[in-house]
Amino acid sequence: MDDRRDLWRMGWAAFCLGLPFLFVLAPIGTFILYSFWHNESGALVREFTLENYRAFFADPVFRNIYLQTVALCLGATIVNLVVGYAIALFASRRPPRLRFALILMFMLPLFTSYIIKVYAVRGILGHRGVLNELLLASGLISEPITAFIFSQSAIFLTFIVLYLPFAILPIYLSIERIPENLGTASADLGGSQMDEIRHIILPLSLPGVVVAALFNFVMTFGDFVTPTMVGGTEGFTFGRIVFSQFGVALNWPLGAALAVILLATSVLAVGVAGLAMRWSTAR
Amino acid sequence: MNQRSDVLTLEAVGKSFGSTTVLRDITLSVASNEFLTILGPSGSGKTTILRLIAGFEAPTTGRIMLDGADISQMPINRRPFNTVFQDYALFPHLSVRRNVGYGLMVRGVPKAEIEPRVEAVLAIVGLQDYALRLPRELSGGQRQRVALARAIICEPRVILLDEPLAALDVALRAQMCKFLKDIQRRLDIAFVFITHDQQEAIAMSDRIVVMRDGRIEQIGGPEELYAFPASRFVAGFFGENNLIDGVVGAVDGARCKVETPIGPLWGSARGPAAVAGAEVHLAIRPEALVLGATDGHRFVVRDAQFAGPTTLIEAQGVVAPEVTLRLRVPSGGTRALPAVGDVVAIGWSETDARVIAAEGSNG
Repeated sequence: MDDRRDLWRMGWAAFCLGLPFLFVLAPIGTFILYSFWHNESGALVREFTLENYRAFFADPVFRNIYLQTVALCLGATIVNLVVGYAIALFASRRPPRLRFALILMFMLPLFTSYIIKVYAVRGILGHRGVLNELLLASGLISEPITAFIFSQSAIFLTFIVLYLPFAILPIYLSIERIPENLGTASADLGGSQMDEIRHIILPLSLPGVVVAALFNFVMTFGDFVTPTMVGGTEGFTFGRIVFSQFGVALNWPLGAALAVILLATSVLAVGVAGLAMRWSTAR
Repeated sequence: MNQRSDVLTLEAVGKSFGSTTVLRDITLSVASNEFLTILGPSGSGKTTILRLIAGFEAPTTGRIMLDGADISQMPINRRPFNTVFQDYALFPHLSVRRNVGYGLMVRGVPKAEIEPRVEAVLAIVGLQDYALRLPRELSGGQRQRVALARAIICEPRVILLDEPLAALDVALRAQMCKFLKDIQRRLDIAFVFITHDQQEAIAMSDRIVVMRDGRIEQIGGPEELYAFPASRFVAGFFGENNLIDGVVGAVDGARCKVETPIGPLWGSARGPAAVAGAEVHLAIRPEALVLGATDGHRFVVRDAQFAGPTTLIEAQGVVAPEVTLRLRVPSGGTRALPAVGDVVAIGWSETDARVIAAEGSNG
């Protein structure tokens, strides 16, 4: 009887620990391994080398695109945090039914396909897209603005549209969890609405902000579909380079090394986010 | 009223939520250095009164006056009152000193001035050594003190306390009662204290407002409420009482003759009960009843429960079985305790009998 229960327990533990190993650690381990091998005239050479990493650090093209992408994704993340926070705060202060409707409305894009959303943005930003047509019709411009599409700014705008829900949701949930009477206490002690937001709501919702920032940065940084579809030749990002090494250049070891750098950047972001959590308390 | 100076007055205040009326016609005043307790069972509207005073809700009818000026519509953060919340509502991310200094900080008091004031207030509540702790690193009693310190630092005209002792255990509660009363005397400001616990109310209050179903049932000092409850409800709230139903037969000043099933009985009365023909209860405390009184009424002992120093005896009238009395007699007395079934004589002093208006017959 006891033996059987122990067996079950061990089996369950093995299953829970085994799944992440199989689905997360094994693939990551594989491409880390690949990143230390190299390609020789199309054939994979299974010998330890740092050549791929050297290529990244030595080649200014890689480095510049890397830094450009970090800046792009940080920018999109910051915009989404500000916009997302404003929306989440606004929603959290509405009556319950309206609150639910508002949040649902902002979450609706999550229920639609990623590709459809990107095409929708293309339809808005494109050469004869909604935005240009509107501007033309209003007489503000005489020719369509081409910079909307196939540029870094097009990627930037699309990132903001696509990833805003991932900013709103965690922030909203963390604001929602703050007991209502803390706000009442702030007012009772003479605090204005601004005091409440600044000294109570903002620090107490910081965990949500950090999660939102992580979602936005990590997801945009790894995204190669959006840049491919709206970036054109101008909008080259690090994610696209990684993809091109695997899909176009067929240099898997270099692609793997770049992917490791991408992963390391994300892990670094998580670390920074963890440190940021400490700001929430003040002694 | 002579020496009294009222800081806060509620004039015919009422509050409804939709079609539900939770407060009706509340008129009361708080003296500038008074410990006023609002006492009532849950749902009696006592917390709503506090929320109206603090400004968390606006009254539906009536006015709230501060020093004679209407403040019914004044925003929360402008009112010179501070609240000690039932669950303390301490800011979980701020240390004790930042919690306590919050009221000064949002008022723009310079940092250099905040620190010594926080220190001083923490010294009053005995938490000098805890300034850098976070609320979660404190015990319940300590959190309570932080909440109080945070409320008093702004030097409010009135401190509002919403059942602040409810979350504490019994021993700590008694200690905090004494502590709160001490602080109130030291600061010499008004405390409005909400509770459902009559012992807390009696221990601390200068005056007690007894609430029932959104109305004020009676206002008075603790002794007055204990000795002269205006209604059966108030009598029931303050300890045990024996009630004998009857009708007022004659009134002689503050004395009334009440016709009861066990014969005419005299008692003292105040207010609407003292009218011939009024339906009343004669209320006598269990400890005021005397077993074996020479002029006593005849009762049969139905039950005797040993309860340590006293024994609780339940007796039924011989002439009128509908009358039952409960009395406490010393367990270790010289006389043997009566056994169940014994017929005994029970008497009391006329001054211990109070005439209370029966339900529905008081204004």
